[in-house]
Amino acid sequence: MEYVSPEGLRLDGRRPMEMRQIRAEIGVVAKADGSALFEMGNTKVIAAVYGPREVQNRSQQLNDSALVRCEYTMANFSTGDRMRKPKGDRRSTEISLVIRQTMEACIMTHLMPRSQIDIFVQVLQADGGTRSACINAASLALADAGIPMRDLVTSCSAGYLNSTPLLDLNYIEDSAGGADVTLGILPKLDKVTLLQMDAKLSVETFENVMQLAIEGCKAVATYIREVLLENTKQLEYRRGI
Amino acid sequence: MVGLSIGEKHFIQGGIAQDLRSDGRKRLTTRPIYVETGVISQANGSARVRMGATDVIASVKAELGRPNALQPDKGKVVVNVDCSPTAAPMFEGRGGEELSAELSVALQCCLLGGKSGSGAGIDLSSLVVVEGKICWDLYIDGLVVSSDGNLLDALGAAIKAALSNTGIPKVNVAAGASGDEQPEVDVSDEEFLQFDTSRVPVIVTLTKVGRHYIVDATSEEESQMSSAVSISINRQGHICGLTKRGGAGLDPSIILDMISVAKTVSEQLINTLDSHIAAAEAGEEES
Amino acid sequence: MRELQLSLNQTQKVRLQRALEKLESLSSKANSNASVTVADSIPVNYEDGLLKGHGTAEFNGEVVATVCGIVERVNKLVYVRALRARYKPEVGDIIVGRVIEVAPKRWRVEINYSHDAVLMLSSMNLPDGIQRRRTALDELNMRSIFEENDVICAEVRGFQHDGLHLQARSQKYGKLGRGQLLTVPPYLVKRRKQHFHHLENYGIDLIIGCNGFIWVGEHVHVTDDMVVDQVNKSEQDDAKPDENSISPEDQEKNYTRQETRGNICRAANAIRVLSTLGFNITVEVITETVDLSTSINVAIHEMLGSEFYVLVAEKESVRRSMTKKK
Repeated sequence: MEYVSPEGLRLDGRRPMEMRQIRAEIGVVAKADGSALFEMGNTKVIAAVYGPREVQNRSQQLNDSALVRCEYTMANFSTGDRMRKPKGDRRSTEISLVIRQTMEACIMTHLMPRSQIDIFVQVLQADGGTRSACINAASLALADAGIPMRDLVTSCSAGYLNSTPLLDLNYIEDSAGGADVTLGILPKLDKVTLLQMDAKLSVETFENVMQLAIEGCKAVATYIREVLLENTKQLEYRRGI
Repeated sequence: MVGLSIGEKHFIQGGIAQDLRSDGRKRLTTRPIYVETGVISQANGSARVRMGATDVIASVKAELGRPNALQPDKGKVVVNVDCSPTAAPMFEGRGGEELSAELSVALQCCLLGGKSGSGAGIDLSSLVVVEGKICWDLYIDGLVVSSDGNLLDALGAAIKAALSNTGIPKVNVAAGASGDEQPEVDVSDEEFLQFDTSRVPVIVTLTKVGRHYIVDATSEEESQMSSAVSISINRQGHICGLTKRGGAGLDPSIILDMISVAKTVSEQLINTLDSHIAAAEAGEEES
Repeated sequence: MRELQLSLNQTQKVRLQRALEKLESLSSKANSNASVTVADSIPVNYEDGLLKGHGTAEFNGEVVATVCGIVERVNKLVYVRALRARYKPEVGDIIVGRVIEVAPKRWRVEINYSHDAVLMLSSMNLPDGIQRRRTALDELNMRSIFEENDVICAEVRGFQHDGLHLQARSQKYGKLGRGQLLTVPPYLVKRRKQHFHHLENYGIDLIIGCNGFIWVGEHVHVTDDMVVDQVNKSEQDDAKPDENSISPEDQEKNYTRQETRGNICRAANAIRVLSTLGFNITVEVITETVDLSTSINVAIHEMLGSEFYVLVAEKESVRRSMTKKK
């Protein structure tokens, strides 16, 4: 199948290096300490952060750092074909783990010993790149909760189809069988914190694809920072004094 | 669960007795309701409903399937509700399952009636494409994103809004298939049939606190309830389903009284909901 | 962006927008430039022995923010004041909290901090008001002072090895009776001299806890004397019937008076509106909002309708431009 037309357009009309429309909204769950909605094209996720709060299960308490927990859930209606999955299947568990590890790397956990931070990510619509969208949403929600972080993790995926590197794969491109590189970076420190790839690529191609994903992450970072800055300004001027 | 001190409990109970609740509402006043439709673009129909801090999403997906052999002239509808852990950390893992199951069953019974589907608020026979062979299966999924009491009514309203937002593709059945063969069908991408929602009921839950009952209880008020009766009523004023929760017993005369109160409340609710749905649909088309 | 989750019609949207823009123009320009997000570098002058405070860290020789907020500079100290976050306790803060556990010699109190606070039996005045050592009997009777879920008011005593300690060494602290507890983001509450307010013309008590827990309740008369006359006290206790033993009819007579309740609900709704709009919450603004609602005859529950939000936003913009002119 042809994923990139001779004119250089993808199935949804994007250029190979073009990202889908991204949109973020802060403060979508009333009772959470921090929350955010993140959309990449049709992919839509909500993240809610509770904490830092007292550790609920004393035996898990860490004396020198905060306990970070994460749960990833997909709504029944989130995928194209409706499917009923039991909670805690292997894929969800794996993604929960990936998100937890990625976020743990940027939260300054040593500043909040003996406390617990819960990150809940809920996928409302899945159309490729859910991992990336979840990490971006979690970053925003953590920043909204006022949790100190070294940097904002942002994530984006890139792939390789029809011998063209493609940025931000949607579901159809993702399931085409080509390589799919999900990358998470700390943009300020310029470090990679998450890197996952399925399928095989030559080293040179991989370099190109990864470079593309890094560009994508940076674009997401710019947007997220704008949103957060605007939000901070609004909170400050509304508060007055 | 919400823990309240004796003083707070006393205050809430007193407020209900004096017809002035903690947020200034009367016993039978509902919170402002906010409806958004078409939030899930991959579904056939979807809606998000907010009442105070309660926030739910409902989506409708239609899939072609085979009717049940016992009821060849009826389609199938499945209602399922999930509580997202974003709403409260206690829904984490399997924590929300009990509540989800309770809500799913209550909705199933309020919207679909019994097994026969006779009391259904949704007209099941309209879902049949070819009798005995092809029908639409409607999968109605609810998701609780944020919870502050009265989840059942909010989910009911969201499902009603989602159903009015639902377009079911038109199906052309290839002629000539006969006997036991499964006829070939052609699902249209362009033509959609609007779902008839005039008979879909709304759910009104009356929560009994002390000697009085209230509508649209917040989670604080729900923690003080002795029992709650959820009544689903459609525009024609027919009762489509009824469930009672909570431990305390109710006097039969009180139940009848509650039903008549629910009927008046439901009329207002249907009117506000319809106008909100119409406004949301108009807004969606604009954008 | 944080969006107000309200259903506004077109004119209301425009009016709200205008009011908020006015507020933006009124806010001091210095602050808006000092907003930072996570990982923004903060320009500093290294020469004069810099002190890095909360919300900052050093990476590659640069001072960067670790939270979203406003950069504040006090002499050599540079820190980032976070806006939306959990409560950060300071010694002497007056807070409102909820007891979640009665433990040996102490109560654990939820105060919207990252840990539970501890109130020791020894750091609070006994009901009889006598200063003495706490006996084993006192320890057994702890539940008669506070039990689980009680809402209490106390003062932050300080950090000890086992966490944050509270104290309640005056009659004005202690259990809060009838009313409602509201939670607002703590950054909306400013530390002031006075956090207890008795609004006399409404007959209500308002306690604005620094931790963002706000108590609105029926006014209770407190005697601030350390030693209350023993006889007097016991008489009062006798006069108060035990709430559990009386019939529902009697209990109904015992409820908060309708008028007072109306005022409590009005004040509570005023706080809800202000908190949603993200305006600073002080006793003056609350009473002004309550007065606004009564002067234009808005029913109490309609205070949570969109029209009132717009009115409050407009009023706030007028109020701030007035104070600015002065």
